Amino acid sequence: MRGKKNPFPLSLWPAKNIMKTLMNKKIPNFIFTNQFGLLCLVLVFIAIFSTVTDGFTSRFNIFALSRVIAIDIMIGLAMMVVILTGGLNLALGAIGVSAAMFGGWCMEIMGIPVIPSIILTLSMGAFLGWVNGIITVKTGVHSFIVTLATMSIYFGFMTMLTEAEAFRRLPELFTDFGSAKLFNKYVSPLLLLSVATCFILFYLFRFTDIGRKLIAAGANPEAAELSGISVSTMFIHCHVLSGLLGALAAIMLTTRIGAAIPSMAGQLGMDWLLPAFLAPVIGGTLLSGGKLSVFGTMLGAVLVTLLTNGLYLLDVGEFWIRFFLGIILLFAVLLDKAREYFTLKSVIVS
Amino acid sequence: MNIKLTSLFKKDWFGLLIVVLISIFIIATIKPTFLSPFNLYVLMVSTSYMLIIALAQMIIIAIGQMNLSVGAIGGLVAISFSGLMEVYQISVPMAVLMGLLIGVGCGFLNGYITVKSGISAFIITLATLYIFKGINLGVTEAEPFYNIPETVKNFGNAKVGNTPIPFLIVIPIVITFLMWIFMNRTETGRHMLAYGNSIQSAELLGISSSKVVISAHVISGLLAAIAGMLVVCRLQLGTPNIGDSWLLPSFAAPVIGGAILAGGKVDVIATALGVLIVAIISQALVIFKIDPFFVQIFLGLMILLAVFVNRYREYKQEVSRKIFNIE
Amino acid sequence: MKFLFSIVASSAMLLSSSVIAGSSDTKVALVPGGPHPYFAAWERAGQDAVKDFGLGKADYKVPAEWDLSQQNELIESLVGKGYNAVLVFPGDAVGTNKILGELDDAGIPTAALAGCVEQPTMAKMCFGTDTGHSAYLGTKQLIKSMGGKGKIAHFTGFLVDPNTTLRIKAVEKAVGEAGGGVEIIQVIADIDAYEPADEKINAFMAAQGGEVDGIVTTAWVPAVVASQALTNMGDKRIKMVGIDHDEVVLKAIKDGYVHGTMLQNPYGQGYIGSYVMDKIRGGCTFKSNAPWKSTAQTNQFIDSGTVFVDISDVDTYVDAMRNISLDILKTFEGDFLDC
Repeated sequence: MRGKKNPFPLSLWPAKNIMKTLMNKKIPNFIFTNQFGLLCLVLVFIAIFSTVTDGFTSRFNIFALSRVIAIDIMIGLAMMVVILTGGLNLALGAIGVSAAMFGGWCMEIMGIPVIPSIILTLSMGAFLGWVNGIITVKTGVHSFIVTLATMSIYFGFMTMLTEAEAFRRLPELFTDFGSAKLFNKYVSPLLLLSVATCFILFYLFRFTDIGRKLIAAGANPEAAELSGISVSTMFIHCHVLSGLLGALAAIMLTTRIGAAIPSMAGQLGMDWLLPAFLAPVIGGTLLSGGKLSVFGTMLGAVLVTLLTNGLYLLDVGEFWIRFFLGIILLFAVLLDKAREYFTLKSVIVS
Repeated sequence: MNIKLTSLFKKDWFGLLIVVLISIFIIATIKPTFLSPFNLYVLMVSTSYMLIIALAQMIIIAIGQMNLSVGAIGGLVAISFSGLMEVYQISVPMAVLMGLLIGVGCGFLNGYITVKSGISAFIITLATLYIFKGINLGVTEAEPFYNIPETVKNFGNAKVGNTPIPFLIVIPIVITFLMWIFMNRTETGRHMLAYGNSIQSAELLGISSSKVVISAHVISGLLAAIAGMLVVCRLQLGTPNIGDSWLLPSFAAPVIGGAILAGGKVDVIATALGVLIVAIISQALVIFKIDPFFVQIFLGLMILLAVFVNRYREYKQEVSRKIFNIE
Repeated sequence: MKFLFSIVASSAMLLSSSVIAGSSDTKVALVPGGPHPYFAAWERAGQDAVKDFGLGKADYKVPAEWDLSQQNELIESLVGKGYNAVLVFPGDAVGTNKILGELDDAGIPTAALAGCVEQPTMAKMCFGTDTGHSAYLGTKQLIKSMGGKGKIAHFTGFLVDPNTTLRIKAVEKAVGEAGGGVEIIQVIADIDAYEPADEKINAFMAAQGGEVDGIVTTAWVPAVVASQALTNMGDKRIKMVGIDHDEVVLKAIKDGYVHGTMLQNPYGQGYIGSYVMDKIRGGCTFKSNAPWKSTAQTNQFIDSGTVFVDISDVDTYVDAMRNISLDILKTFEGDFLDC
C-alpha cells in the first residue's frame, strides 16, 4: 500500500512498565492510549442509551448484543492479523462461509461428531488462509487483489458444491451452544469465547517470540529480513491465522443461527467487510502494518455494535444505520491521524 | 516492418485483442446465434456501462489507489436522477446535470479527504461507500422509483438506425476515446501516471499531489455517475441496489488490461478489451448453460491469471533491465 | 399505487360495518426478509389493521439487506423497543426458527407470512400463498396457452428464499404431467434483483430466444424484466406467465405480450396476519382440528389465496383479491381459533 509507514519504533516499553500502567501506577500515559479513549466512549454510550431508550438494558437485548459482539470481535481479530502485514483479507467472509459449510457437511452428511467436525472446520479455514498467503507471498502481488480473486473462487466453489442448499439438521449439542445463556440469562458463552481469544492473541503478540517476529515482519519487512526473520513465512502465518479465526467466527455464527446456510456472510462474504475493518481500525491497528491492538479491536467491535443497537432503538430508521456506520469509520480514522500528531511515544502492542 | 510488429506485440492490448477475436471465433463456430444482431445488441448493452465503471476504477488505479465507492456513487446518482424526475418533476437535462454534479461532489469528497488526511484511499472510500449507500437507502427506503419519463426509457432501448448498435454504447465509446486522450496526451493525465509511479519523484518534478489526487477522484465520481444514469435508462427504473455488483468487475477489467495496482501503469484500450472479455465470457456461460455459480469462480481465476501474467512481464522487464544495465 | 388505494377503500368500507375490537397494547412488527416491492402492501395492511381492529401498532420494518443476521438483529431490537407480536417473512426456512423460538420464550407470538419456516417451529401459523401450487397452476396455464407442447424456460427468485425450491419443483411437476410434449430447457434462479435479472434474461433471449416457446416466471423482478424484454422485442410468439401485479407486467398483459400472471395476496397477508396476532395475544389459541393445509415445509399452512389473471380480467383483479381476503377474514375465527 502506498502511504506513510510507521517508523520502526525505538521506544519499546518493557513489559513491566505496561503491567504497572495497567495497574494504574502510570495513569497519565494510559489515558492517552487509544484503548482508554474507546473504553470511555463505550461507557458513555452505554449510559446514554440506557437512559434515553427503554429496552436497551433488558435481558433480551443484552443477551442478543452479547452474541453479535462476540461474532464481530472474532471477525475483527481475523482481519486484524492480516492488516498487521500491511495487507488485507477481502476473502474473510468467503473463507468463513466455506469452512462452516464444510463443517456442516461433516456433521450432517458424514455424521462426524461435533468436536472433530469443529477441528476439521478450523483446519479448512486455516488451509484457505494458507492458500491466500502462499499466492500473496510467492507472486508478490498485493493481498487486496489476491483476496479479491480468491473471494470469488472460494465462494463460487462453495456454492457449486453445496448447490446453495443449507445444512439444517445439525447435532443439537452444537446448536444449543448458540442459545445457551449464562449469568442469569444475560450473557452468551460465545462472548466468553471471543474474550478468551483476545487474551490468547494478546499473549501471543506481546510475550512470545513468534508474536514479536510477526509484528517485526509487518512493521519493517526489509529490516526484519536482514535480522534473520523470514518475512514470507511470517506473512503466511498471518494469513493462516486469519483463516482460522474466520472459520471460528463462522462456527459461532452457525451455532447462533442453528443451521449452516450459504448466505450467512452475504454475497461473496462481503457482509463481513464492515465489522472486519471497523473494529481493528477504530481500535488502533494501523493499515500500513506493524502495529496492532487486540483489546482495541475488541473495544472497537463493542462500540460499533452498541452504536448500531442504540440507533435501532432510537428509531433512527434502519436505513440510515449504514450511513452512520460510514461516518463513524471516517471519524475514527481521522481522529486516529490527529492523535498521531499529539502523541510522541507509540506502544506497539496493547 | 519487423520493428513495428514486435512493438505491437509489446502493447498490452494486442494480446487481449487476439484473445477476444479467438474467443468470438470459437463461440460463433459452436453457436452461430452468438453473432446474431440481437445477441450483439445484448452484448453491447452490457458492455456499455461496464466500460465506464472500469474506467472509473482505472483512473484511480493509475494513481496507485483504490476506489471502493464506485458502485455506491453510481447507485446514489441513479436514485437521485430518477427520484428528482419522479418526485420533483425536474426536466431530463436538469436531472442529468444534477446527477453529474452529485458524482463530482462525491468524487471530490473522496479525493479531498484522502489528500488532506493522508489516510489511504482504501479506507476513505470504504467509509464513503457506506456513507453514500446509506444516504441512498435512507432516502429511498429500499423502494425503487418507477415513473421515469418516456424519453429516458426510449433512450435505453433505442438503436442507431437499423443496426444492432444500441444508443447506450455511443456515450461509453466517446468517453473511452476521451479518456485515452486524457491519459496519453494531456499534462494532467501524464502527471497522474507519474504520481502513481512514484509519489516522491512526481513531487520533485513539481507535480502537485493534491491536484492529481483530487482530479482523479473527481473524474472517477463523474464516470460512476454517468454509469449509474445509463443503468437507469437501461432498466427503466431507479432502484437502490444499482451499483451493488460493480466492485469485482471494476477491478477485473483494468487488471486483465494489464494495470498494476501500485500505480503508474494503465492502458485505456486494454481496459476496454478487458471489459469485452468479461462480457463475452458471462454471455458464453449463459449460452452454454454452464452453472451460473461458475461465473464467480471464473472471474476470480481470470483476475489471478491476469495478475500472474502482469507480474511475470514485470519480472522479465526487471531482469532485462538488470542484464542490460539500463537502470 | 392506485390499486392499493382501491383495495384499502373497499376493505375499509366493508369492514367498518363490523369493526372487531382489538387490544390497544398489541404492537405488531411486520418484518420482510429484505427490501422488495412485493412487501410494500404490508405497510398499508398494517396501518389499516390498526384502524380497523384497534391495535396499538402494526409497523412495517424492513431490514436494509436480504441478510439473515440483519433480519435477526432488527427483530431483536424491535423486541427491545416493545413490539410484542412479530410477523415475519423468513430470512431462511430453518435459520429463522432459532429466533422464533427465542421470541416464544419471551412470550411473544409469531407467524410466518408469504414464506414458511420448516417444522418443528414456534410460529403459530404460516399464512401465505401456496407458492408451489401457484407455480404449478401458472405453468399449467402456460402449457395450455402453448397448445400443450414446446420448450419453456423458468426464471425464479433468490436461492435463499424458501419458496424458490418449491417453485422449481412445482414447475417440473406441471411439465411432467404434460405427457412428454413439454421440455424445460433452462432454469435461471437468483435473479430477483434488477441488474442481474436484466443481464441474464437478455443474454438468455439473445442465445435461446429463437428456440423457446414459453416462459414462466415465479418471482417479481424476473417477471417485470421478462415482460419488458418481450415488449421491447415486440415478440408475441413466446408465451409468458408471470407473477404478482407490477404495473409493467399488467400493461404487458393488456398489450398482448404476456399471457397472464399469478397474483398473490400480500395485502391480505399483512392485514389478516395482524388480526390473528392480536387474537392470540387476547388469549385465543388455534384449534387442534383446524382445517390446516400441508405443504412440503409445514402442516400449519393457511392459504392466503392465489388467482390467475389474464387479459379478460386484468382490470378487475383488485376486486378478485379483495374478495378472497374478505372471505378468509369472515370465517377465520370460526374455522381456526378457540377463543
